[in-house]
Amino acid sequence: MSKEIKAVRLDEVLGEMEGAVMQRKRPGRIRVDIEADALPTLLQLLKGRAGYLHLSSISCVDWPEDEEFELVYHVWSYETGVLVSAHTRISKQSARYISVYDLYVPAGFFERDIYEMYGLYFEGSPHMEKFILTEWNGPPPMLKSFDTEEFVRDTFDWKEYNPDWLQEIVAKGGGIVE
Amino acid sequence: MRPENYKSVEHPPSHEYELNFGPNHPGIEGNYALKVKLEGDVVTEAKADGGYLHRGFEKLMETRLWMQNIALVPRICVPDPVPMEVVYSLGVEELGGLEVPARAQWLRVLHLELSRIAAHLFTFGGHAATTGMYSNMFWGVTDRDYVLDLFEQMSGGRVYHMYNVPGGVRRDLPDGFLARVSELLDYLERRLPQYDDLFFANAVFIDRARGTGTLTQEQALSWGVTGPNLRACGLSFDVRRDDPYLVYDQLEFDIPTETAGDALARTLVRRAELIQSIRILRQVIARLPGIDGPIRCPLPNPLAWNVPMGEAYPRVESSKGELCFYLVSTGGDRPHRVHVRGPSSMHAVQVLERLSIGTRIEDVAQTMFSLDACPPEVDR
Amino acid sequence: MSEEKTFPAIPPAVSTGIACETKKDSFLQRVMDGFAEFCRARSLFILHYCTGCGAIELPPAITSRFDLERLGVSPMVTPRQADILLITGYVSIKTLKRIILTYEQMQGPKYVIGICSCTVNGGMYWNSYATAKQLNEYLPVDMYIAGCMPRPEAVQEGLKQLREKIESGEANSWEDYFKRYDHYLGNQQHLFGDDWHTPTDVIGEARHYDLLGDESLGEHTVRLEKYLQHHQELGLTNVELEPENKELMER
Repeated sequence: MSKEIKAVRLDEVLGEMEGAVMQRKRPGRIRVDIEADALPTLLQLLKGRAGYLHLSSISCVDWPEDEEFELVYHVWSYETGVLVSAHTRISKQSARYISVYDLYVPAGFFERDIYEMYGLYFEGSPHMEKFILTEWNGPPPMLKSFDTEEFVRDTFDWKEYNPDWLQEIVAKGGGIVE
Repeated sequence: MRPENYKSVEHPPSHEYELNFGPNHPGIEGNYALKVKLEGDVVTEAKADGGYLHRGFEKLMETRLWMQNIALVPRICVPDPVPMEVVYSLGVEELGGLEVPARAQWLRVLHLELSRIAAHLFTFGGHAATTGMYSNMFWGVTDRDYVLDLFEQMSGGRVYHMYNVPGGVRRDLPDGFLARVSELLDYLERRLPQYDDLFFANAVFIDRARGTGTLTQEQALSWGVTGPNLRACGLSFDVRRDDPYLVYDQLEFDIPTETAGDALARTLVRRAELIQSIRILRQVIARLPGIDGPIRCPLPNPLAWNVPMGEAYPRVESSKGELCFYLVSTGGDRPHRVHVRGPSSMHAVQVLERLSIGTRIEDVAQTMFSLDACPPEVDR
Repeated sequence: MSEEKTFPAIPPAVSTGIACETKKDSFLQRVMDGFAEFCRARSLFILHYCTGCGAIELPPAITSRFDLERLGVSPMVTPRQADILLITGYVSIKTLKRIILTYEQMQGPKYVIGICSCTVNGGMYWNSYATAKQLNEYLPVDMYIAGCMPRPEAVQEGLKQLREKIESGEANSWEDYFKRYDHYLGNQQHLFGDDWHTPTDVIGEARHYDLLGDESLGEHTVRLEKYLQHHQELGLTNVELEPENKELMER
């Protein structure tokens, strides 16, 4: 199938999806904003009809002011050489979403990662047990509300470091700027 | 001769048992673990266990200035740090709308390809060691060291260089550097036939690697495999050619592929890539003296640099596969979000878990090295 | 609270039947000790455990370019036969647990070297929630090699200095782990939680080596013993030293 036909298919798919806002950012990069409940359908159509076989990654962004998580699905078409980033927003209150593991196997890793780091649960994902933070009891660390510096100050002590050269500088009126 | 008090012991039939493979295990690349279930010596189930190298990069990068993060990014992948610097710089440039001068782009290609050679040599060494061929490990590590010497002349650091910064590169090449690169390339080309004799055409290695960890094309596509591992299944995809960045569209190079999809094919693809990298570097050496100009575009004060609002998804072909960062800026002096998508986050977890099933226990290490999985990239 | 502060009295050392009567002041003993230290310093095995990014400089250091084997240093795959535990770089909390387990399995005399700045004071991950900052709070460290990351020459130089320290009998931090076990255990418990325990009976070993000091037992070891007792009552523990001891005494 030629590149042109595939490219047309992409426009068709996006045209069929109601409420999908498309934005061409630069050659080979397309941004789509879509409602959360329509996103799995969009990915299904992209994969099935437009040849977007490769899920490059799923990124999660925390927006504390809006009380929302933003999920970004980056899918890539080997044939047309276009990367579509599908953006959607999930409310923090529910913090649940639907897994796309059935569609894209790589989603298994990213969904597990997002659950660990943000606490956003994906229903239907096969491996939702902890992977990286198995020995971590605190809140999901990537949330903006978690302050890593505060945690470190509460948990760890620092080694005193006050060498002669620093004392000399302090004596002259200098020193470390906090 | 049997001792006098010898009594034959009836061993129970070997049944299923669990084995913790790593993190303290020489067959594991880096600090990583696999929990394998075995029946006899055949793996029936494998579960990856990561997080031993977790440093919370994504969180740390949100707390530091855009410029400060340059020091953090190369540390995400230890054996192949250069693509990390480049992909981060590309992303910040896209956000900030910076134009990178031509000379800097060529210098970046030089740096990237040298890093690819170093990483591949290191992998050859590690892979050979998992099949019990330690001479090749010595060779691979030592030849990689000559590349590290060049890095040191170029940037001052052997392993971590922090050479690429948003807007260009940190400094120009020292005098006579290109001649030394050229010398090294000649040396590597002379060495390759010796490597063939010792490793690539060695019957021991071929017997061990052929048929180990075989990926079919469908599996590779659906499991998100990228890089040399994908090309070893006969799919010719390379970010350098298909989603070009820097000046790769002005360079001539082939995308080597193999069809078998096993550990041997993956290694042969890397060997062919090494040759292609040498070819690219020769073109860079020929073209670079003719490209004058600045090596960095003018930057605002890095301590108070508010990168404009936006998002970017730069991609780079690292020695292990497709490497992407997802950068979000809200117009502040620090990133709002940096998501690292390393190629190994697929290879070392889901792909390795699946490929290990059915292999014998001694081939698990080989499978991992043939996938060129890099645990620090998984754990971040 | 007052109950917790009563430390158990140090029980008398259990004779294992294989204890050798040492006479430190005898001339022969001193000659033998000196000879043993001379030999020990020339045959050091590094545990093959790549804990962090500094591990990338070890293959060049060990292979033909820098060749640590000239100094009698070579890698070893099992902790029980290794002398040196190289902590190559930052230690995440998950790794630190494994490092402590590994360290306790190693046989004395054993040495810990912290490579890279991150082991000294957290390094560039100073504000990371996932890494431990000062290694010597959790393990006795013989030597630090600073740098990010130290070059193979620096590793080589560090190992040479360790050799000198061993020869002069100064490298005995492993005794410190027994003598001040309560301090180290306290820091470990602070980080890993109060129910932290390892399968190794460190106190029993300290008694065996005759290294039980004033600070070996304390409030933290009480907590450990309470936890183990609780587990023994439930029949969950795998720490059962009594049968072994009995067997040894029968011999």
